[in-house]
Amino acid sequence: MRPIAAPLVALTLAASLLNSARAADAPSPFSLSGFGTIGAVRTDKDARIFRSSTEQESGARTNFDLSVDSVLGLQASLALGNAIDLTVQSVVRKGVADSYDPLLTWGFLRFQATPEVVVRAGRMRTPFFMYSDSVNLNYANPWVRPPVEVYSLNPFADLNGVDALYRTPIGATDLELHLFGGKSTLDVRHGSAKLQAIRGAKAALSVSGLTIQAGYARSNLSVQWGDPLFSMLNAQLMATGNEHIAQDLSGNDSKASFLSAGFQYDSDRLLLIGEYARRSVDRYTVSSAGWYLTSGYRFGALTPYLTVARQSQTAPVTSSSSGIAQVDSLLSLFNATRNKPQRSTAIGLRWDATRNVAIKTQLERIQPGPGGLGIFLSDNIRDDINPGGPVHVLSISADFVF
Amino acid sequence: MRPLRPLLLLAALLASSSCLAEILIVTSSRSAPIELTREQAEKLYLGRSTTLSDGTPVSLVDLPNGPVRDEFYFKLTGKNPWQIQAYWSRLVFTGRAFPPKEARTLAEARQWLTDTPNLIGYLDRNEPTQGLRILLRLP
Repeated sequence: MRPIAAPLVALTLAASLLNSARAADAPSPFSLSGFGTIGAVRTDKDARIFRSSTEQESGARTNFDLSVDSVLGLQASLALGNAIDLTVQSVVRKGVADSYDPLLTWGFLRFQATPEVVVRAGRMRTPFFMYSDSVNLNYANPWVRPPVEVYSLNPFADLNGVDALYRTPIGATDLELHLFGGKSTLDVRHGSAKLQAIRGAKAALSVSGLTIQAGYARSNLSVQWGDPLFSMLNAQLMATGNEHIAQDLSGNDSKASFLSAGFQYDSDRLLLIGEYARRSVDRYTVSSAGWYLTSGYRFGALTPYLTVARQSQTAPVTSSSSGIAQVDSLLSLFNATRNKPQRSTAIGLRWDATRNVAIKTQLERIQPGPGGLGIFLSDNIRDDINPGGPVHVLSISADFVF
Repeated sequence: MRPLRPLLLLAALLASSSCLAEILIVTSSRSAPIELTREQAEKLYLGRSTTLSDGTPVSLVDLPNGPVRDEFYFKLTGKNPWQIQAYWSRLVFTGRAFPPKEARTLAEARQWLTDTPNLIGYLDRNEPTQGLRILLRLP
């Protein structure tokens, strides 16, 4: 993913040439900005490894860890005329297979077709859930990180495709419709996954501080697992004449749908956020639903908040069983390692220390399970079936924009 | 990023809301005659629109961080400096909107506003306004 640095550099160079050619009596068509988080997090259990996303393969134990939540993002934009502009954003954070390679998070041409309609093409974020397009931008959110109970339901972050945004007032209410289509790929541990023929729509209504929105998307899903547990299970299924079960674990022929509905109320003082989201798949991974509710209250620069959240499985990877005890036990272990159920309660405090910096602390009590370890990893794969008691997670972070 | 202490910021914010005079929303006198309602100005400065109600595309200027800017946003949108910063960060880093162009100094803002048609900005009432047309007053 190194080549991503090239378009950023090219854009910056082009813009500086443009700038020097122009008189300084008008604003520049180029802008460069950035955001980030320096975050430290620890747990109270050495046997549970806390992550901020299911793609990370290592995380925090009982010592403070800086790799889980820290993020750096850089964005360049260039206006190419009144109606067309170009935006490139790159983010560095620990992601798939613990890699820190810069990610191309946005890279699109935007065309203002009419005052109400914007069309974009290129690399965007999959807008399945309410905050999907700002999961890296912790500064804009009250929490240390978006609730994983909802946001881990979709690990596919990139959308390569097109979208259209239509915004119009209806009386005092603002309506925004968002249509999108494209595809997305993801490296998973020792394997890969693809969403193809994604098509979806989202609608949002805003009136004086209250926004309610709902979205729905469908797509074709391919998953090629490659972890040792999958390989062992797959071999045993084939050896015992259970090819039809093996076909439910991995392949190119599944359908996925993503649904979400949420609201945000942001008055002078009071902040209320709630969201429900669901991932439904035919096979290859579990179907799950999640929700969270956050309330916060602003006292000047201080905003204490409380979040409760839950994710639970709605359907297993496969409903078939082989009838062979040893194989079926591997099958339920396989299911448990794809399942991320948990419930949590978090209290936190956001302090807007300066205009560009927010300091946050958050304490969570996370109960993983049933039937999976939630966002945690364990050195013992059997823990996925027996997740044990709650884990407390303490986070301290500084979010900034520039 | 200036090492501005939060208490100072809070004090400045509180002081500004009682002491500062009217804010003027202005454009170059070279701009074609345009009309701006308070409602439309709020939409523009909240990134919900990039045109006037007749469809004319316009650009926006922000003053450097300081009491006049804070006062302007508070009067127009009811949001304090942190809320505005978080709100605009979300718009910008999700590729929804371009923020108003921030001038480095008041003088630069004034020069942009005087020289560039269809550029909209704001000033304290006590600032001179030659070369500019007043579109709206925020008392």
